[in-house]
Amino acid sequence: MWTGDGMNAYELIVSILYSIDVYDLLLDAFRSAGMEYALRVIIVLVELAVLFGFVLITVMFLTWMERKVVAMVQSRYGPMVTGPRGLLQPVMDGIKLIGKEDIIPAGADRWIFTLAPFVVFVAALLVFIPLPFGYSLIISDLKVGLLYIIAISAVSPVAILLAGWASNNKYSLMGAMRAVAQDISYTIPLALAAIAVVVFTGSLSTVDIVNAQSGTLFGIIPKWFIFITPLGFILFLIASIAEMGRIPFDFQESEQELVAGFFTEYSGMKFAMFFLAEYAHLFAVSGIVVTLFFGGWTGPVLGNIPVQITSLIYFLIKTYAVIFFAMWLRDTVPRVRIDQLLNLGWKIMVPLALLNLLFAGFVVTAGVI
Amino acid sequence: MDFVFLILSVFTVVSSIMVIGSRKLVHSAVYLAGALIGTAGLFILLKAEFIAWVQVLVYVGAVITLILFTIMLTRKGEEENAQ
Repeated sequence: MWTGDGMNAYELIVSILYSIDVYDLLLDAFRSAGMEYALRVIIVLVELAVLFGFVLITVMFLTWMERKVVAMVQSRYGPMVTGPRGLLQPVMDGIKLIGKEDIIPAGADRWIFTLAPFVVFVAALLVFIPLPFGYSLIISDLKVGLLYIIAISAVSPVAILLAGWASNNKYSLMGAMRAVAQDISYTIPLALAAIAVVVFTGSLSTVDIVNAQSGTLFGIIPKWFIFITPLGFILFLIASIAEMGRIPFDFQESEQELVAGFFTEYSGMKFAMFFLAEYAHLFAVSGIVVTLFFGGWTGPVLGNIPVQITSLIYFLIKTYAVIFFAMWLRDTVPRVRIDQLLNLGWKIMVPLALLNLLFAGFVVTAGVI
Repeated sequence: MDFVFLILSVFTVVSSIMVIGSRKLVHSAVYLAGALIGTAGLFILLKAEFIAWVQVLVYVGAVITLILFTIMLTRKGEEENAQ
């Protein structure tokens, strides 16, 4: 187990460059050109490019994985033709979507219709900034990381509402209304369940939350928050699946009633952006679940392998386990009714989340942990 | 730092003017969201991260949603007034 503050990705890149004796050379070169600032900017851009590339590849892999998991549950093969086991299917889908005509329906509000998918996509990417992928593999360890994640997630309902309204289509508008009603009612138990974790750690920083989960309880089980507050975990998981709009709670796009919900009128790359944002969000939310309740990147130390690599592997294993659970759930349970959804949110989950918060306060005050 | 401040403040002021300048109510609401995000950026520049993200959560996340709902539910009246 490792604790300590570690570094962020910027400092990691600098230290790697330093250890291969390149950093000083680069610094001198930039300094002689009078552009010391440019080196910092370039390193930050490289970091963001790596993150962006990672997210895009992950999203492509997730679309393939979703189809394969659905196929497994339904005793089919799923995509098999393009590439080994159909692995290149997402690439073909991307090429197909780029080639599609970009349709803006008559009567649509062109300006907002174009803006909305970009906002959703950017919001989905911004969530990754304070997500700890591994020991010192984090873009920026914000002091208010968890608040930042909740705040950025609260922006996408606005864009969804705008997308639904701008399409000038009743199905889009109804889908958007449902999506926003659902998002607003499930953000509350989500935030309350996350606050219980903050009560345990006393910090909103995601790195501090991960560090607080290293070590063991009673010497046997890992000190993950799922074992300390299982109720909080269940509430957070249900609320985040509802926020993502995945199947037991997918009112925003329930195909049988609403064609495709708020993105009915979208085609081509704008549709692709909603699609990418959806899977980026799935990965981000699973990463947050892992960070809050499954100890993030903590795990046993393995010999001489650098800590950064093993921690990244632990993080990815745990995250993909959560993602698999979400996909499995999608194939297993039917959609609930809208009144059941809102009743569950307001009458059961909010009181239980408050109770969980009370329990967290009691445990911390009594000094059990 | 001054450069970032300049961009953020121009963005905020222009969005604020567009809130009262645009003809469509929904566009006004979008510009208002822009003005509030710009203000959140100014808070970050002042190293007040917590207030900045609370601003985004409460104003952009909740208040703009409320305003948009209100506008969309009264959309018909707006169009009649415009005529």
